[in-house]
Amino acid sequence: MMSDEALRVGVIGAGSWGTTLAKISAERGHETRLWARREELAAQLREARENVDYLPGVSLPDSLQVTHDLAEVVRQSELLVLVVPSHALRLVARCVGDTARGEQCLIHATKGLERGTHKRMSEILREETCLRKIGVLAGPNLAAELARGEPTGTLIASRYEEVRRRGHAAFSNGYFRVYWGSDVVGAEVGGAFKNIIALAAGVLSGLGLGENARALLLTRGLGEMAELGTAMGADLTTFGGMAGVGDLVATSSSPLSRNFQVGTRLARGERLEPIQAEMKMVAEGVNTSLAVMEFARARRLTLPIVSAVHRLLHEGGDVPTLLQELMAIPTGQEFRRSS
Amino acid sequence: MRPEDRERIQLEVVSRVLERHVSAARQGPGARQGAEVLETLVSDTLYHERRRLERDTPAPGELALYADIARRLPKASESELVRMIEALLARFVEEVVGNFDERVYRVSTSVVPAGLSLLLKAAGAESARDLLSVRRRTASVRDHIDVSGEVEHVRSLVDQGTLVVVPTHSSHLDSIVLGYTAHLLGLPPLLYGAGLNLFKSPLVSYFMNHLGAYRVDRKKTAALYKEVLKEYATVALELGYHNLFFPGGTRSRSGAVERHLKKGLLGTGLTAYINNLKQGRPKPRVFIVPCTISYDLVLEAETLIDDYLREVGKSRYIIEDDEFSRPRRVLNFFNEIATLEGKIAVTFGRPLDVVGNLVDGQGQSLDPRGRVVDTASYVALGRGVGGSAPEHEPQRDQQYTEELAAAVVRELRRVNVVMSTHVVAEVLMKLLGEANPGMDRYRLLRTGGGAPSFPHGLVVSRVGELLAAIREAGAPLVAGEMLGATPLQVVDDALRHFKSFHTRPVAERRGDRIFHEDRNLLLYYSNRLSGYELKRREAVPEAIRQEGG
Repeated sequence: MMSDEALRVGVIGAGSWGTTLAKISAERGHETRLWARREELAAQLREARENVDYLPGVSLPDSLQVTHDLAEVVRQSELLVLVVPSHALRLVARCVGDTARGEQCLIHATKGLERGTHKRMSEILREETCLRKIGVLAGPNLAAELARGEPTGTLIASRYEEVRRRGHAAFSNGYFRVYWGSDVVGAEVGGAFKNIIALAAGVLSGLGLGENARALLLTRGLGEMAELGTAMGADLTTFGGMAGVGDLVATSSSPLSRNFQVGTRLARGERLEPIQAEMKMVAEGVNTSLAVMEFARARRLTLPIVSAVHRLLHEGGDVPTLLQELMAIPTGQEFRRSS
Repeated sequence: MRPEDRERIQLEVVSRVLERHVSAARQGPGARQGAEVLETLVSDTLYHERRRLERDTPAPGELALYADIARRLPKASESELVRMIEALLARFVEEVVGNFDERVYRVSTSVVPAGLSLLLKAAGAESARDLLSVRRRTASVRDHIDVSGEVEHVRSLVDQGTLVVVPTHSSHLDSIVLGYTAHLLGLPPLLYGAGLNLFKSPLVSYFMNHLGAYRVDRKKTAALYKEVLKEYATVALELGYHNLFFPGGTRSRSGAVERHLKKGLLGTGLTAYINNLKQGRPKPRVFIVPCTISYDLVLEAETLIDDYLREVGKSRYIIEDDEFSRPRRVLNFFNEIATLEGKIAVTFGRPLDVVGNLVDGQGQSLDPRGRVVDTASYVALGRGVGGSAPEHEPQRDQQYTEELAAAVVRELRRVNVVMSTHVVAEVLMKLLGEANPGMDRYRLLRTGGGAPSFPHGLVVSRVGELLAAIREAGAPLVAGEMLGATPLQVVDDALRHFKSFHTRPVAERRGDRIFHEDRNLLLYYSNRLSGYELKRREAVPEAIRQEGG
């Protein structure tokens, strides 16, 4: 019943993914507002009906309202969709908290863990707002492909059925297949962790290695994802789904993925700082590897791929060493848990 | 309870539960299906009741009622089934409310402290003459109960809505202690459900009957009965009766602060709040007040830890043969409190709303950043900005209650108070573990391992380190009398308690060594510190002081 009615949706964050989600929601006939942090960007989106910076060549529906006024977006929405870089999430959430109300639903699509605290995005949202009905959207979702209407699927995970239903109503369409579940931790860990593996996959690709090598990396990477996720309280099965293997495969195979791009360029001998400075968008894997490494050390988890990537990015390692380390990961029994 | 409310509450409980089942049955696919649903409910209730009666003494009229229903059940029409359920409900409610004397209840606040004082005096008295002597014991209960925490805050909320006090639970004395605490603070009496077995204990039924206790028969396993209990608590809250629930459901067997709460009873606060809003009641808010109760020594410690160790996870839910049912032990316990100046620390945490937010002095909900939130917005259901009317939504409400439970657990851990006995037990358990590396815990508890004693000086210095670590972590809280004490004094104090009340000394000093005697009890008392990540720190040389407060 709810899916037939128009929702008031507020998308916070006008990057490539935020713009894409706003477009889908508006096209489904929901009253959709998109918030851009920069006033010029908001004005440009309003006038050109195109996000030239982050999603060039994709025209936005006329019904999509674009604004710079965050409080207005929050006030007017039944469903909030938060799509900001992980390092900005706490601050934006605090501002959302100024006008948020208890009955509102919020779905975030931010991939990352907070440095120092190892907190997941939904934990930060709980700390900065009055909201309870919180969910996460994660899956094989390369914004550019989706904005062109190419088919894919995603997962909306929330403990609250209302969030799942509203998220489904807002986004599920003929080419975007929305599944739902209740494992918020798993969806968040999967979404955040896969960027580290994608970065390593970019390195392998940049070195000219083939599909076998990528499959080896992804498979063992999925194991580390599950190791980390279950240590944080996730349900193991989530990692076999959209937010686990689905997101991992897409992000680690596509030149469209920023994290993959960073890896490829590192393999070509470029240095991290200039790459990051040049990219318009954030490669979350760089920061996520720091937070995951901190967590792994504190909890004594063995995550050899993460360690190797961490060394490459943050401990002055180089690409040959990364490869060496990856190939030195012990073999033997494939699964530690036998069940 | 006001006399007019007593009848109202009974009628209300019966009609609500009945209505729920009848409408659920009618929503089924067909009329026949509906009758089947009701018939299943009746026979399920009968089944559980008959199983209980195989071991339990029937109450007057009980057998006759069940026999009559069983006889008519096979041919009962839908309306007959409804009447049967009504009869069962009426019987359950009648028993829960009990033969509660309203007049006595109204004066309970003065009766309880008098009774407690008498108990203390009796415990300390060596002869009948002593008992009559006023000078023999000047100590009053007041001197033994240390109330702290968010007292003013809690008091200010009494006029803003209805309180649900949710304390830690380690002893049957808890309810008496809290009844008295409510009196000390000038709070209205707290209504709470007490196991039927407590009413059987001669010494304590006195208190039970004078506190706001209603009867809970935990042997009754029928779902319908449990529904009655929950509805009773809900209706009482709606009528403005402040409630006391032990959120762990039963006394902590391990000695640790509760980590898993019973959501069913906890959720009644939210249900009552929504009902209040729907009916436009003037003060709809319900406040959840976490509270910890800590004792130097726990009356039932030996039975509880024994039960815990017997088979972890399979402990008995109902214990009827513990220290509490032996008047002599209860008297000894009070004697211990009286002569050793034992303390009971009652500490109130920050009050919460029904979805787990903190509330301010006016009872307004606050978000984690301290901004005021409209509590009613959480239960607004329906479309449109601002939602629409307040309404129940089972899936959502269950999640809200999970969030509330997590907030209660956090708050209980924050205001948990540890006594000298807990600190010293923790140190001795740690030393035992270190002296017997790799030894299975049960074997260690049983045999004591290879080291029957530890140097007194070592224990003292480790106590100093532990207190420093607690101070650094900021939790748990340290009992008032430990604040100005040196580690040496803390050890002495704990050892004094350890040899005073339990069947055998928990630990004992001989010469310059401390011997562990009852390791199960050491485990029990040390568990009060479990779950806090306390790292070993260098001891601060001067007396331990708590900063901030």
